[in-house]
Amino acid sequence: MYKIKLDQFEGPLDLLLFFIKRDELNIYDIPISRITKEFLEYVNLIKLLDLELAGDFILMASTLMHIKVRMLLPKEIDEKGQEIDPRTELVQALLEYKKYKEVAEELTFFESNQRKLSFRGNFTADEKESLPEYETLLRNVSIFDLAKAFKNALARIKEKTVHEIKKINVTVDEQMKFIMDSLSQKNEMDFIGLVSVLKEKIRIVITFIALLELTKMGQIGIKESSNFNDFVLYKLNHG
Amino acid sequence: MDSIYNSIIEALIFASDDSLNNSEIIKAIKGIDGKDVQISPADVDKCIDELNTTYEKLNMSFNILRIAEGYLFATKQEYAKYVGFLSSEKSKRRLSQAALETLAITAYKQPITKPEIESIRGVNSDYILNTLLEKNLITITGRTESVGRPLLYGTTPEFLKYFGLNSIKDLPKPREIEEIMNDEDFLEQKRKIMMNMIEENIQEETSNEANNDIDKT
Repeated sequence: MYKIKLDQFEGPLDLLLFFIKRDELNIYDIPISRITKEFLEYVNLIKLLDLELAGDFILMASTLMHIKVRMLLPKEIDEKGQEIDPRTELVQALLEYKKYKEVAEELTFFESNQRKLSFRGNFTADEKESLPEYETLLRNVSIFDLAKAFKNALARIKEKTVHEIKKINVTVDEQMKFIMDSLSQKNEMDFIGLVSVLKEKIRIVITFIALLELTKMGQIGIKESSNFNDFVLYKLNHG
Repeated sequence: MDSIYNSIIEALIFASDDSLNNSEIIKAIKGIDGKDVQISPADVDKCIDELNTTYEKLNMSFNILRIAEGYLFATKQEYAKYVGFLSSEKSKRRLSQAALETLAITAYKQPITKPEIESIRGVNSDYILNTLLEKNLITITGRTESVGRPLLYGTTPEFLKYFGLNSIKDLPKPREIEEIMNDEDFLEQKRKIMMNMIEENIQEETSNEANNDIDKT
């Protein structure tokens, strides 16, 4: 298998045109199965290199395969009773693309010629842009530039951060009761497990304070947990 | 028309960085000499021809070009190497094949939407369109009324200047292309361009080498 230089092709249509030109195929009578095979070889190659680009190629590959299948099926007939060539659309696309590809070549010629000419003011072309003259500022400005600028300006305004404080009615006493209730079911409990049912941060904080309060009162004890970052509460039973 | 206007028009074009059009020239002349002055766009156009003939006779290094439906002084091709040596324009890079294709499609089918361009090219054209917008070779000209109201793109006066065209009508006709491509003249010209490109590359390389030498010392 011979290799194709990858960046030579601008897209799937370009590649197809290349095959057609190289093998001197008739664009109106493309041997679909042969071209599909070659195209797939190339797609497999490109898939390894550039997945994003490969997408466009894969789409074309599936179009080719679709055409190939339609060629095998009994001929479709349009309203006028004429046979539909499944390749027509592809040929149209190829011709359209070819047209512009050729114009692009022609433009290269213009570009090349034009590059040899110099206009007045070129020596200062770079600095000119930085001069904020009133009139030049307005030149080449379309409604879309204004809209874009407006959008940018809006985007630059920092959003005002509003802190909404929801009052959560929770008291240390309530949480002390909550801890004692939890501990009445089992004698030991780890802290993380205890607070895992609590949704708000403030409730966890209050629970922690309640826990300290209970410890001070000698109602519960605290010991190290086997789990790092956690500790275990247990009920102290005196009298 | 008075021949003094030849000089006035010459002065106006000379003083302008950008392509100056008929109406601006006539506005300036009428603004100073009064509204009764008889001068038409055709007069201005004839005057440009006369000026160019004069430059030709005197073997001047420049002439007036018709670009973007206006007039602009430009140096002749023969001096490109010397002018380019000092000019900031020399660093300008050529447009890529993808960019030229996209430009060609936009130029002929404008106003055109991105999906339309992509369907002709068969590839995603986001990046290329953005590059061309940045280079001011194309611009957004509006929106279609169809679903999603996609943006419409068109070419700019800068595009005409870049390719040395007087108007969009001066673009090569796609139908003639087939003939042009097989035309002896064109093949000859194409060969010349290729030679120029090779020359330029060699020049660039040698100047790079020269720079490297300077760095070493």
